[in-house]
Amino acid sequence: MNELQKQYTKILADYIEEQTERNLYIGQNFIRQLLQKNIAPEEVIHIHKSAVEEIIDDFPISLRHAYDFLIEVMVHYGLALSEHKSLLQQQEEMQLELQVATNIQNMILKSHVPKIDGVDVGMISVPARKMSGDYVHFIDDKNRYIGIAVADVVGKGIPAALCMSMVKYGMDSLDYSESEPERVLEVINRIVEKSVDDSMFVSMFYGRYDVETSTFAYGSAGHEPALHYKAASQTYEELVAKGLLLGILPDGNYEQHEVQLQQNDLVIMMTDGVTEIRTNLEMDAMAIITSIISEHKHERAQQIVDEVFKQLEKMQNFELSDDFTLVILKKN
Amino acid sequence: MSEKSSVEIVTEWDIVAVRQFGRNEAKEIGFGTVDQARITTAISELARNIYLYAKLGEIEIERLRDGDRKGIAIVAKDQGPGIQDIRQVMEDGYSTSGGLGAGLPGVKRLMDTIHVDSVVGRGTIIRAEKWLNT
Amino acid sequence: MNIIFQVQESEQVIRGMIEGELDTFTAPQLKEELEAMELAEGVYVEIDLSKLNYMDSTGLGVFVGFYKRAKREQASVKLVGLSSRLRRLFEITGLSDLMEIENEKRVELSNEGI
Repeated sequence: MNELQKQYTKILADYIEEQTERNLYIGQNFIRQLLQKNIAPEEVIHIHKSAVEEIIDDFPISLRHAYDFLIEVMVHYGLALSEHKSLLQQQEEMQLELQVATNIQNMILKSHVPKIDGVDVGMISVPARKMSGDYVHFIDDKNRYIGIAVADVVGKGIPAALCMSMVKYGMDSLDYSESEPERVLEVINRIVEKSVDDSMFVSMFYGRYDVETSTFAYGSAGHEPALHYKAASQTYEELVAKGLLLGILPDGNYEQHEVQLQQNDLVIMMTDGVTEIRTNLEMDAMAIITSIISEHKHERAQQIVDEVFKQLEKMQNFELSDDFTLVILKKN
Repeated sequence: MSEKSSVEIVTEWDIVAVRQFGRNEAKEIGFGTVDQARITTAISELARNIYLYAKLGEIEIERLRDGDRKGIAIVAKDQGPGIQDIRQVMEDGYSTSGGLGAGLPGVKRLMDTIHVDSVVGRGTIIRAEKWLNT
Repeated sequence: MNIIFQVQESEQVIRGMIEGELDTFTAPQLKEELEAMELAEGVYVEIDLSKLNYMDSTGLGVFVGFYKRAKREQASVKLVGLSSRLRRLFEITGLSDLMEIENEKRVELSNEGI
């Protein structure tokens, strides 16, 4: 008789002798061992049956049959249990892979905020789940132009992240900061349209700032309009440009407009994770954002975006329901 | 060296017959109560697959001997629709979906080894073995 | 969180009504139901969104997918009963130039008011 059987028989005999809480506790500790050693439920019943047979002298044959019956039916229970265990293990492996994929994505999609005289740029991008469907891309010639793309893939998680990597490679392929926004959007649209399924698409706002002339040219592919804060009049204006989401039709037509920036003017670009916030307050998300920005407008662009995120996060009880991305460009 | 006998699976009662036959063999080879139950359950799963999806087939029970070691083999043969993606049916989680090949991961667990050969439109041969621990 | 999709079909016209919230959780359900809908040349589908309380970009994806299929099969789709919020969403995304959409109307016929 093996060691486990001996121990179990002893513990059971003790309990039959004296029904104390202590003996029950010992029994539970013993089961812990069996679980660790992956002993199947039908095996446990068999151990129990053998123990009972040994302890009780006149063990009736009918009860023996009853135990055999239980062993038989518990085989299926054991199967379900071991399948469950192996699925759990698979899940752990997948989680590990996902973690690696997330790290790769973060590396690929890392944006470097450009530093160029005459303009100050701040950015924050926080994913709701592990992988983000938001993306910010800067094109910077360290001299005259800065290109800023703020994009949002419909959906979240892994499919959105894969789609975003494609957009990133598209952006890399046209790495000229002087590119016209309408051209940029046309090119990216063609790439996305070819490669994604019917219900997947990307919205993108693209702006190009010319430091020499202080003009901000922009276009939008179905994206939330950017805001232009005018320091002189302390007002906000939407930068609206017509254009269809990327990835729906092969030939997109995108409007391009221009606006002149004055000193301390801000251009605020965001994804709908910022504007679609469901707070407890019955307030327009946009009104909340502009009031936070107005309060901090004298600070550096990075401090302003951090402050907006901090306050909005607090309003949502620190639960993000969507990826959150906010970019602010400030003319010095 | 091995001895074989087979049972044809046509009606649900044939499942019971092959279970009984397999259990007796397992007992005579020297398998304990729990392993008898496992071997019988494996036979049952394979026979049910034939009965439900292939309609016609047979289960062969084979006594195995390798030096001092003894064991049992269950061979399920049918001329049914065949299994398209064997790798998929051997995956956990698939068993809950029902359908042909459901339960094969379970058979693998109950036995020591399983080997599946299948040609779509022609049929399937599954061989599962279990050896007695000495 | 729930979504209800009801359909009335006659020969060449299908009228659907969506109720509830359309988001990441409910969108797959609607997608499935729309995919099951049989389209053919000349079929006209009208979907009423006046009882749709919330929709995010995943929901938008469902309509875009449906629109693309309808276009391939030469059926036509019209979305009706859009609230001002929904209308803005379709306008921003440029979809209002692509699909036929109609504002919330028939206020005079309903007692609910807006």
